Amino acid sequence: MSIEVKLPEIGEGVTEGELVRWLVKVGDLVKADQSIVEVMTDKATVEVPTPTAGTVKALKAKEGDVIKVEQVLVELEAAGAPAGASVHPTPSSAKSNAHTPTAPTANGRTTATVAPPPSANLASAGLSSVNTTRQETKTLLPPADLHVLATPATRRLAREMNVDINQLKGSGLAGRVTREDILQNQTHAAPTTTSATTSSINIPRQAYQGPVGAVEERIPLRGIRKKIAENLQMAKQIIPHFTLMDEANVSQLVQLRESLKGLAEKEGTKITYLPFVMKALIASIRHFPQFNASIDDASQEIVYKKYFNIGFAADTPNGLVVPVIKNADQKTIVEISKEIIDLSKRAREGKLKPEEMKGATITITNIGSVGGTYATPIINHPEVAILGMYKIQDKVILENDDFKVIKAMNFTITADHRLIDGAVAANFLKVFFQRIEQPGVLMADMI
Amino acid sequence: MSSQNFEVIVVGSGPGGYVAAIRAAQLGFKTAIIEREALGGVCLNVGCIPSKAMISASHFLHRAQHDAPEMGFEISGPIKVNMKKLLSWKDSVVAKMSGGVGQLLKGNNVTIIKGEARFKTDKEITVTSKEGTKTFSAQKFILATGSRPVEIPGFTFDEKNILSSTGALALDAVPKKLVVIGGGYIGLEISSYLAKLGAEVTVVEFNSSLLAGVVDAECSQVVSRRLKKNGITVLLNAKATQQKRTSNGIEVTIDVEGKVQTLTCDKLLVTVGRRPNSDQANLKEIGLNIDERGFIKTNSQRQTNIPHIYAIGDLVGQPMLAHKASHEGVMVAEILKGMNRVFDAKTIPAVVFTDPEIASAGMTEEEAQAKGHKNLLISKFPFGANGRAVSMMETEGFVKIIATADTHIVLGVHIVGPEASNLISEAALAIEMAARLEDLALTIHPHPTLGETMMEAAEATLGHAIHIIQKPLTKNTKSTGGVHP
Repeated sequence: MSIEVKLPEIGEGVTEGELVRWLVKVGDLVKADQSIVEVMTDKATVEVPTPTAGTVKALKAKEGDVIKVEQVLVELEAAGAPAGASVHPTPSSAKSNAHTPTAPTANGRTTATVAPPPSANLASAGLSSVNTTRQETKTLLPPADLHVLATPATRRLAREMNVDINQLKGSGLAGRVTREDILQNQTHAAPTTTSATTSSINIPRQAYQGPVGAVEERIPLRGIRKKIAENLQMAKQIIPHFTLMDEANVSQLVQLRESLKGLAEKEGTKITYLPFVMKALIASIRHFPQFNASIDDASQEIVYKKYFNIGFAADTPNGLVVPVIKNADQKTIVEISKEIIDLSKRAREGKLKPEEMKGATITITNIGSVGGTYATPIINHPEVAILGMYKIQDKVILENDDFKVIKAMNFTITADHRLIDGAVAANFLKVFFQRIEQPGVLMADMI
Repeated sequence: MSSQNFEVIVVGSGPGGYVAAIRAAQLGFKTAIIEREALGGVCLNVGCIPSKAMISASHFLHRAQHDAPEMGFEISGPIKVNMKKLLSWKDSVVAKMSGGVGQLLKGNNVTIIKGEARFKTDKEITVTSKEGTKTFSAQKFILATGSRPVEIPGFTFDEKNILSSTGALALDAVPKKLVVIGGGYIGLEISSYLAKLGAEVTVVEFNSSLLAGVVDAECSQVVSRRLKKNGITVLLNAKATQQKRTSNGIEVTIDVEGKVQTLTCDKLLVTVGRRPNSDQANLKEIGLNIDERGFIKTNSQRQTNIPHIYAIGDLVGQPMLAHKASHEGVMVAEILKGMNRVFDAKTIPAVVFTDPEIASAGMTEEEAQAKGHKNLLISKFPFGANGRAVSMMETEGFVKIIATADTHIVLGVHIVGPEASNLISEAALAIEMAARLEDLALTIHPHPTLGETMMEAAEATLGHAIHIIQKPLTKNTKSTGGVHP
């Protein structure tokens, strides 16, 4: 009696993932809900559990393979199971509360399994029921409304690609939703897109043909890299960017940080400059709320956010990711430091949960920790600004007819010109510099 | 006693069940289907198919009697109706269709289990037949046990004198006088053919119009006129209160807007609706949620509250139509295979085989307005202006199209007239494809066919049909090839 375990739906809009690592091998005895494989999608790396217990008979894919949702992962030999049965790894209702999307597993990692919707628990009391199809454990998109203009084939395509056709604005005649609308929405259904309009932007696909005989290697553009490419291209296409640059005298800040080193050690952590920059940034955007906003292109509205989730660009072996410190205004410098260290570590390991990379209201990029005097960053859409911080250098300046050695740090503010005028950005940077140059001012900002 | 295991068991072999079973088998499931009566269910055996056979036959007779002389055929003497022979011809049609279903099921390796099904638990089902009781189990069940005629108190079916549709279809002699309680589509179809075969028919309808609320009012008017012409008496706002046997036959007491009258007949047909068979097979006892009208509650995938049990067809709600059940059957089988499907048809076309036929797809004018479409374009094209209809001597009726005024998207099509049942599929496709009036008007329809009426009705709705006189073209309608949004 063998059972095929298939790759379940592992996230909204996720249709495939790269098999990173097997957590089991042929001959292993696995328990129900035990993680069997690590799969990297364009959003996160997840561990996929098996829904049933059994002995691993065969691994149906290799590490590095791209696995489609519904593709068979392993064959299990299970006693008492019906022949030829195929199951999808979703948590059984009996154990479902142990597998909410954020629940850490025994090994300290996190799994992003899909929690069963209430329907799975609807079976009347006293009648245990087997849950084996994925329809029972994933959110069902609603049927197309009567007002939706789309052919039956297009409606089916949308459903199969997990696109809610009711949310799309059709580009066809009289508002018809076309096949292309669906395909584009699928391509651009990134976590950063907030409205149907922005997600249906057309990115031209140019072919590249190298010179004949040139030594080149082709690697599929996929996973996190593909998502980065799409997000940045969309941001550049939608947002008219401009960048303002200036140099700050951060001598006091350097001193302050030095003086806090002991405190940080006591707390068992290290304090970098990033938390200070975050605090100064939050204080500044309180004065300039248009920097903590989004433009809803679909409704033609400006959305001012009354919360402060600060994203920070993190370099990882797989590429750029942007973890988010949620409600950073309500956290201390030490707390933020600890969170940055934790998120950065897990970002490098590819273990961030999708929700840990969502919901930023403004982002800081710290490319300066590597090198370069200035950069022109790209805004993390749907945010409207990104602050760049660069490396600290000793500099000689002329002050009161005297030469003086200071610690200098370059900053850039890149803003969405639709919402933020150049003069506003200059004033913003001024307010920001007051705080980053004189950290004491931050005391006055304290709530 | 060991029970036989299946991956999928379908209960009921009507147009929902047998279609679901075939698709399930096509998708590789080890499938069984349970049927207590004949394969094909009500539709094939005592519903759609036999009634259509009788309707075709009676219409043939009617035309021989009424149209043939005008065309130049001199038929000497009355045409004799051999009802027993007609009945056996009808039965041969049914046998052919039911046999076909059996062959299709066998050809797809579906195990056919004959007998009365009853759930033991939500995973085991017993089937009782002459050969005894056997138990079967399955991972998934598809319930497709259909519906049965509603009985009203005091009018218990004996299928000899007080008939349901089933009994009416089995009559081996034409009743002299027939009273039909219920002027819905089933009552009118049977009334029409029995009247053509020689019965004196009175239809007693509770509502103020026939086919109330189901079809376009103008369409039902055309049918009402024809019923009268064919000798059928229609009593509206009328209620049958009691019946008793007398030496003259059955005396039916009718209350027509407060005035009581008595009708005498030799057969009484009761067609006041159908009720879902959710009170059978232990469905309630295993814990299925059933609503107050008896329909099994399902989600948009036709999944019940017990996740491995699905239900389709008449069991799950209106409209109780065979083609809706079949569509659901295919859909559920595919869902079992893991395919992402929901029921999202824009229209379930409906057909009434009266004389002339009525067919509709999409919304009526009232429904369109209720859905918020304030500005509508509505127009009709009469069959009297269609060459093929004239040459067939079937010119009563029209094609009516309802579209949005701003985008010209077709919202509803209502046809009353010859072959309305065959014409409506084009309208259903148009609505599913979100076609505009121009799409219908610019599609070349072959001449001379009844189908041209659809093209002309679209043109008429745009204001410029060729074969009827319309007001001069206005500026707004001069260009229709795509200037509208």
